[in-house]
Parts: sequence; C-alpha cells; structure tokens
Amino acid sequence: MIFTPQGGLKKGRIDWVLFLAAMFLLALGTIAIFSSVAVLPGQARIIRVQLIAIPLAILVFGAAWSLNYQVYQDQWKFVYGVILASLVGVLLFGVVDKGAKSWYRLPYFSIQPSEFARVGLILVLANFLDKRISKIKELPTVLGAFALCVPVFLLLIKQPDFSAILITFPVVLIMLFASGASLFHLFIILGYAFISALFPVLWSIITLTPELLDNVLVNYFFHLSDSWFSASAFMASVVFGCWLLWRLSVRLYANVSGVYFAGAALVLMLGFFSGMLVKNQMKEYQQKRLEVFLSPETDPRGAGYNLLQARIAIGSGGILGRGVFSGTQSRLGFVPERHTDFILAVIGEELGFWGMLLVTGLYVLLMRRTMQGARLARDRFGYLVNCGIFGMFLVYFCINFGMLLGLSPVAGVPLPLVSYGGSNLVATLMALGIAESVYARRYALV
Amino acid sequence: MIDRQIPQERLELLWILAYAAALIFILRLVNLQVLGGAHYREIAEKNRTQIIAQAAPRGRIFSSDEVALVTSKPSFSLIYFPGQAKSGAEIDRMARALARPLGADFDALRKNIYKAASREKPVRLAENLPPKIMLALSELKAVYPGVDVIVEARRYYPFGAYLSHLVGYIGKMDPKEWASRSRDKNYSMDSRLGKAGLEQMYEKELKGKDGGIYLEVDSRGKLNRVLESRKWVPGADIFLTIDSKAQAAAEEGLKKSISGKGAVVALDPRTGAIIAFASAPDYDPNMFVLSGSEREGLPAGKTLPEFNVALQGSYPPGSIFKIITAAAILESGRVGTDEKFYCPGYYDAGSRVFKCWDKKGHGQVSFIDGLAKSCDVYFYNAGQRAGALAIEKQARAFRLGQISGIPLSGEKPGNVFGPSLRAAKKSYWFIGDTLNQAIGQGETLMTPMQAAGEIAAVANGGVFHRPYYVDRIVKSDGQLFYQGKPETLSRIQLKDSTWQLIREGLRSVVEAGTGQAGKIAGAEIYGKTGTAQNPQGKDHAWFVAYATVNDEPSKIAVAVLVEHGEHGASAAVPIAKAVIEAALRSELPAKNAPASLPRLPHGPKLPLPSVLHPGSTI
Repeated sequence: MIFTPQGGLKKGRIDWVLFLAAMFLLALGTIAIFSSVAVLPGQARIIRVQLIAIPLAILVFGAAWSLNYQVYQDQWKFVYGVILASLVGVLLFGVVDKGAKSWYRLPYFSIQPSEFARVGLILVLANFLDKRISKIKELPTVLGAFALCVPVFLLLIKQPDFSAILITFPVVLIMLFASGASLFHLFIILGYAFISALFPVLWSIITLTPELLDNVLVNYFFHLSDSWFSASAFMASVVFGCWLLWRLSVRLYANVSGVYFAGAALVLMLGFFSGMLVKNQMKEYQQKRLEVFLSPETDPRGAGYNLLQARIAIGSGGILGRGVFSGTQSRLGFVPERHTDFILAVIGEELGFWGMLLVTGLYVLLMRRTMQGARLARDRFGYLVNCGIFGMFLVYFCINFGMLLGLSPVAGVPLPLVSYGGSNLVATLMALGIAESVYARRYALV
Repeated sequence: MIDRQIPQERLELLWILAYAAALIFILRLVNLQVLGGAHYREIAEKNRTQIIAQAAPRGRIFSSDEVALVTSKPSFSLIYFPGQAKSGAEIDRMARALARPLGADFDALRKNIYKAASREKPVRLAENLPPKIMLALSELKAVYPGVDVIVEARRYYPFGAYLSHLVGYIGKMDPKEWASRSRDKNYSMDSRLGKAGLEQMYEKELKGKDGGIYLEVDSRGKLNRVLESRKWVPGADIFLTIDSKAQAAAEEGLKKSISGKGAVVALDPRTGAIIAFASAPDYDPNMFVLSGSEREGLPAGKTLPEFNVALQGSYPPGSIFKIITAAAILESGRVGTDEKFYCPGYYDAGSRVFKCWDKKGHGQVSFIDGLAKSCDVYFYNAGQRAGALAIEKQARAFRLGQISGIPLSGEKPGNVFGPSLRAAKKSYWFIGDTLNQAIGQGETLMTPMQAAGEIAAVANGGVFHRPYYVDRIVKSDGQLFYQGKPETLSRIQLKDSTWQLIREGLRSVVEAGTGQAGKIAGAEIYGKTGTAQNPQGKDHAWFVAYATVNDEPSKIAVAVLVEHGEHGASAAVPIAKAVIEAALRSELPAKNAPASLPRLPHGPKLPLPSVLHPGSTI
C-alpha cells in the first residue's frame, strides 16, 4: 500500500494490522481468562471487570488515537504533574492489596495509577530527549533523563511496586539507546544497575547456602548490609582500592585517564548503596522470588512449585493443546496466578504449541508495527514515543515469556492484552492509541 | 522524511533483539511442548489423579472334586482422603471419634491421619471392619468429610488349617519384597503377597488385577470428582488334583493319632497326581490375612509350624524298605522263590546277635511269609545272599537319595545306605551293616513323599512320575491357562515274576500279616507296615499301601508316617485305610462304603462385592 498525503483522513489514518493484532491478542486472552477463572471463587467479579475494561480500553484507544500526540509534548509539565500527583495520591488515599498500596478503590473497579504512570513517563521522557538531542552524547543529559524518573521510582518503591520499576527501567534505557545516547554512558548505567542487582543476589545466594557463612570473609560480607557504618567502611576501602590502582597505572606509565577509575569507584559505590537499599526494602515475598530464581528446588510448595506447575501446564498442552476449557493444570488450580501473570500457561495448556506460536507471532507483529510507526513518525518526539512503546512491549514480552519458560525470575509481570488486569489493559490500549496517533499523523500536512 | 539526527541502525539492533527473544522462546516451546509434551502430560495426569487401589480377589483354589478350598471374601476398609487443610485440633477430634468404634489406638490413628494430610495422599485407616461397627462409622462419615469405607476382597480359607502346607499363606510385603515390586503397577505398598506354598508359587497367576477408584483432585488435594472406577480382574483359579475327602481323611487321621504328628501322601500311581498331602502339625493361614504379618498372627512365644513333614521329614524306613530288599533278593536269583529260612527269633552274625522283631520267632519262613510277617531273620539271610551292593543298587533305582521333584520348595532327598558310600568315605562295610540295610535300619533315610513314590512304583510296575498337584489353571474369563500333565522321571526294570511275587507278598501283608487292619471290602489292598527305630524316643510308624478294584490298574497309592506311632499296624494302617476308602468312595460297592466319610463343609459361594463409591466426600 502506498500512502500519499492526498490519501487524507480516509486512507492510512490507522494501522489496522497493529489494531487487529492487539484485538486478536485481547480475544485470546479473554478466552483464556474465562477458562482459567471458571472454578475460582471470585470469577463473577473477574469476568465483570474484564467486560467493563474491554470497551473502556477501546474507548481510550480511540481517544488517544484521535488526539494529536504533539499535545503531550506541549503539555509535558501537566502530564508529569498528573503522574506524580496520582502516585502521591495513591499513597495517601489508596487501598492495600497483596501487600502493596497501589490501588484507587472506585465503586465498580479499582485503578492502578502506576500502569498509567508508565505510559506518561514515556511521553515526558520523549519530550526531554527530543529537546536535548543535540547534547545527547553528554553525560548530564543521560543523568537528567534518569533524574526525571527518580521521583517516579521512589514513589513506586514506597508502594512498593517493584515490577513497575522492573518494566520502566529497561524502557528508559531503550529510549536512551534509540535516541543515540553514548554507549559508554549506557554501559555505566547498566553497570550501576548490574551492581545494584548483584549485591542482593549475592546476599540471597549466601542465605540459600548457610554453610558459606563459615568463611570469615563471606560472613563479613553478608553482614555488611546490616549497618551503614560497616557498609561505608567497605565502600571507603573500595574507593581507596580504585585510587591505589590509578596510582599504580600512573607509576607504570599506562596511559589511562583517572576519570575511568573515578567512574568505576563511583559506579561501584552507588551500585552498592542502591543494592543495599533494594535489599533492605525488599519484602519477604520478593526476597523469596529472587531465591527461587536462583535455586528452584528450595521451596517446592512455594514459588518454585508454582513455576514447575506452570511448566507442566505448558508442556502438557503438547502440539494441539487439550482444548479450551479443558486444561486440568490450570482449572484445578495447580497453576498459580493463572489469569494474570501465568496466563500463558493456560494458553499453552489449552491451545498447545500452535496457540503459543500464535501469541508469539502476534506479539512480534505488534512490536514490528509499533517500530514501523517510529520510523514513519513526522517528528523526533513521535519517533521517541513509539520507541518507548515498542520498548515497553519488548520488556513485557521478554520478562513474561522468560519467566514462564524458566529463563528469567518469577517477577509478577503480566502479559499486556492477554493477562487479566483492567488498569493494565486500559493503559496498554492507551499506549497503542498514542502509537496509532503518531502513525496517523506521520505527514506534516494535517 | 525529516532529519531526526538519529542513527537508524539502532532501531534495527533493537528489532534484532526482539526477534532473537521470540526465536529463543519458540525453541524453548518446541522443547517443552513438542518434544516434552507426552512427559508433561503424564505428570499433569498424575497431578490431578489419586488412586485408591482396591485389592482384586485372588484366584480361588479348588480340589479335584471342585470344592473351593481357598476363596476371597468382601472386606471393608476405612480410608481417609485429606481434603481441605485441617487444623491439628480438628484432626485430633476426628481421630478420637474414630478410635472409639474401631477400638484402635488413638495415637496411631492420629499419626496416620497427620501423615495423610501432610503428604496429601489417601490412606487406609483400618481394614477388615466387622459389620457391627459399620453403622457407627457411616454416621461419622457424615460428620468428618474425607472419611470413607470401601470394599475390597480379602483372602479367606474357609477350612482353616486344611491343606495348609500345600496352600501356604499370604502376608504383607517386607521392605525387600516391596523394593522389587515398587515399579509393578499392580502392587501398592500395602498389597499382600503369597509367602509360602501355592500362594507364593503361583503369585503371578493368583494375583489378578487390582481395581481402583480414580479421583480428580485440585491443587489443594481437595476431591473434585470420581474420574473412573476401574473394576478389578480376579486372579486365575487353580484346580488341584487333591481329593477333598481323601485329604480330610488324612488330616483327621493324623490329628487323631497318638502323637498328632506325621504325614500322609497319596498318589495316583498312573500319573503321579497327588490325591492327598497332609503334614501335621499345621497352621491356619487365616491368621496372617487378618494381621498381615507372621509374627503378629502367632500367639506369643510360638513359631510357625512350617516344617513340612511329608517333604522335609527324613526317617529310617524300617520294614517298608523290605520291598526294595525283596526286589534285590528276587532279581539276584540267589534265593529260590520257595526257599525257606528258619527264624528262631534272632540271627547270629558271629560277633553280634541280631533280633527279629518278634522274639518268639517265625519258624520256617518263605519269601511270601517273610514279607507278610515282616520277618527280619528271613531278610537277614536272603539279603546277605543278594548282597549289600545289590540292595543299594535297588534302593537307588527306587529313587532314594533323590528328591521326588514335586514343585514345592525344601524337599529333602533322604539317604541311601550302602557299601559304595562307605567306600567313598574310605571306611569299611561290615556284615552287620548289610543286615541293618536289609531291614531298612542303619543310615537309610526316607521321606513320606519317597515312600509314596516307592509304593506307587510297585503298583504301576516300576514307573516314577514327577508328583504334581495342579491339575489346571483357569483364568477368570474361563480361558484354560495351564494343564498339568504326568511326567515320567524313571522306570525300574524288574522281571515280571519279581513284581508278581512282591505284590503277592504285599497282598498277604494285608490279608494275613501285619497289616490286616487295612482290609477294605470290595478292594484289594497291597501294603507293607514299618516300624522305624528311633533312638530319641518311641518308634515311628509307617504304612505304605495301594489299592486295586476289580483288577483295574491301581488308582491310589498312599504312604503314612506317624511320628512316635510305635507300630505301623496300629498307628498308620487305619489312616491309610480311611484315605483309600475316601478316595475310592465312588468305586466301592455302596453296601461296603464306610458309614461316615470325613466331613468337610462346602466353601461359601460368595458373590463378588461391587465397588462402593465414597459418598459424602464427592
């Protein structure tokens, strides 16, 4: 198909492939949700919410599509303000569910603002990067982008909603990458994130194998996180070590700039402290999730059991599946969170390999078309918005599939459009609406 | 397109990332679903089903006259399915409520329920529930969901100890037996298994296929529904060659004997089929069914009388060996058939005097008289003439020192006493040894089974069959699975005149000699009494005999041993007579039939119970 500016409003104003792929996924997901909740006690409420959320989401999609996306760039302060206000508000007025204060209770359903905050943050970030594109290779720009996210992240940690951070952080990285940020800077940030994640993981490993504590050094390291004093002492010695290495390299006439050593020391220090923060902030169930990822046999009735049961469900589907509404694993409750995070297990069991192939294919199509939108966008802001939305789908896709297939930790991340979750569905279709809006307005002549 | 100052290739890199992720996921899915589908399907099936095995009725065992000697009976078991998580207090309350009607130990019951609850597997709480507590239990069923009663088949031996040494018994598996069967789907940990005799030997045929209730459970182990209730397949029925009446006569006779210990073996000389096979003391296999283990079933301080006298008891044959000596004498040709020896009541062997059993002496004794009166002096003289080697050779021909080959374990071969064995031991053979050998004393040993083989060989002209007791095995669908056939092991070649004279001698034993108590009107009985000297106590009494009716080939040969019976004539002969009468009851003229045949109540014809579904829990 060739799009021409003369095609005007009638032709090429909507990417039907993207929309239909999303609707197809939604239909598949809805069937799987109905099948999996058929024997759950709260099934009436779940079905009701899903049936309310679908038309609402399509309505929001339509609205986002018809609205010129450039408005968000114009009004980025308002968008940012709404995000922060909604996240502050939920801490004040929200209700607690599953150990996290992240819901606004409304008469017929609840709203999870963090889902919308994610989409909003993409818009705000796209504007920021668009404005500073000429200085994108400079570190302050990259740090500035993260500075924009920090308030949001802090509010999310307060809830706590780690999975929202888990999704949003990589999206920020992808947007920075797509906007042409220096790879070195990205590596520094990645290194920082890696070290922040590494320390909690190391501590979890030590918790799992207590016999390691017999070693004095390991024991010392394990108790580092207990007091800020010993942690600071540890970090001071790390910085001192870096300084020594720098002096050594100077003595050896190795032509290495001191900036690298300073950077390494800084990244190590910051990574360690945020890792400590993460560890001390982690709820027990999140600690458990990390432990199970490291060694699934530790808790056969807990999260490892869940993962195993989900794998059995998918495997037992075979090539053709066991038929819709006939999966024993999911219907008899062996698969946990079967209508939300583990919805793929239901599809895998009931629709088999072909069903899973269909979901994978539709997701790949969804990502491809979002990216196509980015390519065709009329301005850099639109490009960056679509890159962010593409990144969001990619991260969800990788984490949810990876978790289910045992390739990444059990993170409690749903699969947008397929999993149950009203706020997530509406927010996702809103994001798709914005992507369609970028696509629809790809020509300057509107 | 407007310039966006953005490197386009970065978008391509991101796209490749997405594509690679999708590819990896698809490969993993191929591995999980396409290649591992069957494996995971099986796990999923196991996940959702729990099976309550219901023991199939083992095959029945019938006598040749089709009396059910071993059957199965419906038995009620109390089971418990762990349902929704129960608190400790609830379990305690339930255990206490159940313990009262069951008369069971509260602690043991509670532990059992706890175990079931933690493993989320159903357990049997009690077995063989008596009917009178069923009502109390059915009330409790309604109060405590998860408790239920199921029907199973339980082994039942309607006649108690009857034929127990052949039938054997069943019991719970010990850990070793379970280890070797844990992969067999037809056995579960509490299955029972044949431990001895027929029950053990034909375990595979008798077992049948257990039925089961297949339940669908959800992830918390809560019962969802009954998926399927698989009917059991009963085991194959075994039809024995044992005649129920002859067997009853044998057991009754032994029980009434002086010592109550001994053995009776009756064979069909034409085929080697065993008609009666009794060994005393015996045991009641029912007690192991109830308790499940040998030790529990026995009264304290007692051991199981598993010793099978008929096969494992080796005794000096005494005068019944004279049949073999007689064969040696006649075959040697060194003693004329009419030649007489004088019996003064003793025999002077030079260095020592050997006594005849009758101190008064028998006077002039011919071959026939020698057998009829069992005159020791005749056999001292004639045996010496024939020679120890000839007697030994004849003893081997009569299969002494060899097991009969009956398919039962633990059989003893007895012992052949003769010069060649002494030579092998580099020792000497004395005159006195020949004398002892000729009258069946010394080191000769025989089992009752061998004695039966000996007399059967006389009856059929020297043929030794492998004794067998399984006539046929019929599967539960009526298909013939196995048919027992006679098998000839060896044959003794003797002159016709020798057989003739021996038979004549045996006939006169019963007509005019030591075995007159064995006379049966309407049948000719050929027999030989024996008294085996026993240095430890009273002598053992032997009697071997066979019977013919109307000059037809003999259909029964019997050997009786009564431990410490003192005299064959008084202790053993009446038992043999009763067995023969019972076995030939249809052929003997009615007026001569014994007044009362041994009583043996008919086994109950039990309809197999149908599977009961656990009611309240579903």
